Amino acid sequence: MKIAVYWGCVIPTMQYAYEMSVREIMPRLGVELADLENASCCGTPVQSVNMVAAVYLAARNIAIAEKMGFSDLLVVCNGCHLSLFEAAHFLNNDEKLKEQVNSLLKEEDLQYSGKIKIWHTIDFLHDIVGEDTIKKAVTNSLNGLKVAVHYGCHILRPSSVGTVDDPENPQKLDRLIEWLGAKSISYPEKLDCCGAMLMLSHPDAAFTFTGLKLKAAQDTGADALIDSCPSCQNMFDVRQKSAGATTGAKLNFPVIYYTQLLGLAMGISQERLGLNLNRSPVDGFLQKALVH
Amino acid sequence: MNSSMTITDQMTSKKPDAELKRRVLSKIGEHKPYRCYQCIKCTSGCPSMKMLELKPHEIVALAKAGFIDELINSGIIWTCATCLKCKERCPQAVAPVDLIMALRNLAVDKEAKVPDSFLHDLSMILECGHVSRPQPTITRKLEKIERDKLNLPKFKESDERFKATFMKALETKAESENRK
Repeated sequence: MKIAVYWGCVIPTMQYAYEMSVREIMPRLGVELADLENASCCGTPVQSVNMVAAVYLAARNIAIAEKMGFSDLLVVCNGCHLSLFEAAHFLNNDEKLKEQVNSLLKEEDLQYSGKIKIWHTIDFLHDIVGEDTIKKAVTNSLNGLKVAVHYGCHILRPSSVGTVDDPENPQKLDRLIEWLGAKSISYPEKLDCCGAMLMLSHPDAAFTFTGLKLKAAQDTGADALIDSCPSCQNMFDVRQKSAGATTGAKLNFPVIYYTQLLGLAMGISQERLGLNLNRSPVDGFLQKALVH
Repeated sequence: MNSSMTITDQMTSKKPDAELKRRVLSKIGEHKPYRCYQCIKCTSGCPSMKMLELKPHEIVALAKAGFIDELINSGIIWTCATCLKCKERCPQAVAPVDLIMALRNLAVDKEAKVPDSFLHDLSMILECGHVSRPQPTITRKLEKIERDKLNLPKFKESDERFKATFMKALETKAESENRK
């Protein structure tokens, strides 16, 4: 199948490993990706400043996918996914707002109609690509590996606008991991926030969120933390040292995108999956994963 | 207003403002402060409560009473991590986080104190369509790598037409009044 893909800001300007791994795995699973033409920010950073402008930005990216003739749009970032999903919810339930936004979109010959289906990496892989295709693609079973998962707030809540999985007891990422032969360990802090959104106003508090969650995940005895959001990854992986220093926790925990883990199980090289870009100590984990 | 004052300090010296209350309630979102019965479920599960003393139920109560000026000047509205647990778990579907976002919007409108980084993101979007241009990254072995060297498609900046329209969008106010 062919699907439009929207990368947002954090992935194409900082978190390259996520983009690399998604671009590697999807064609091998029979999914052809088409980048949105002239995409822009999803609106999340503008929500605090001007909600109409934020909804406009989100609607703009949806409208581009509509104009390109797609019925499905893959939004790989959690923050962008919520922004687009929520904007669609507001627009579909508020004629006045829709009129306002469409008159802005008209300046670029765009129009929001609301017919497109929005997916995130996790529900797209789980619901559409599915168990059979993923299991068949696994050439290097991760049998014996134990991992902790982090879904990230913005694909689970709020369920009032519709979400990727159950808001209080999500299972899709856990199942995706089990399809690769690995085990997902449950832990009480599974739904806790990474703190990324506080980086703009209270960085020390943000690092405390990150450190406490990482400590909890590491204490489960898991081999790694698996996530699927560039902002969460930015906190857990890139800023793991600052998080450890802020909370006084001894953190030494590999953090890997689910799409990188899937790529490893599919036998794709570390370099193509951007695994040299993970800053957390993933080398031991990779050795263990590739022994199988 | 003295920015070092806490919300409680400010409340003792001012009267609620009905017009500001109406403006907050007309912002986009699903907040319904009038339905709150102060069960404190939001605050019990708020991660920013532990770290930064954010009490969503208190924000709802203050907005309900009309202490809007006090809220937008206190700094407390910028301690929310938008984890959305309060919106998910409220038995009355109040959505304190949406109210906090509406208050932030009003703080910007009224030029109350807004953390610089929010405005920085805005200026970047106006400049290139995104909150950032591609940054060099560092490998685990501390080698510097640019996006161009990673076999990824070229990153495109937005054109003038987008910038002009986004500028216009920023000047737009919510017209909807379907929220009470």
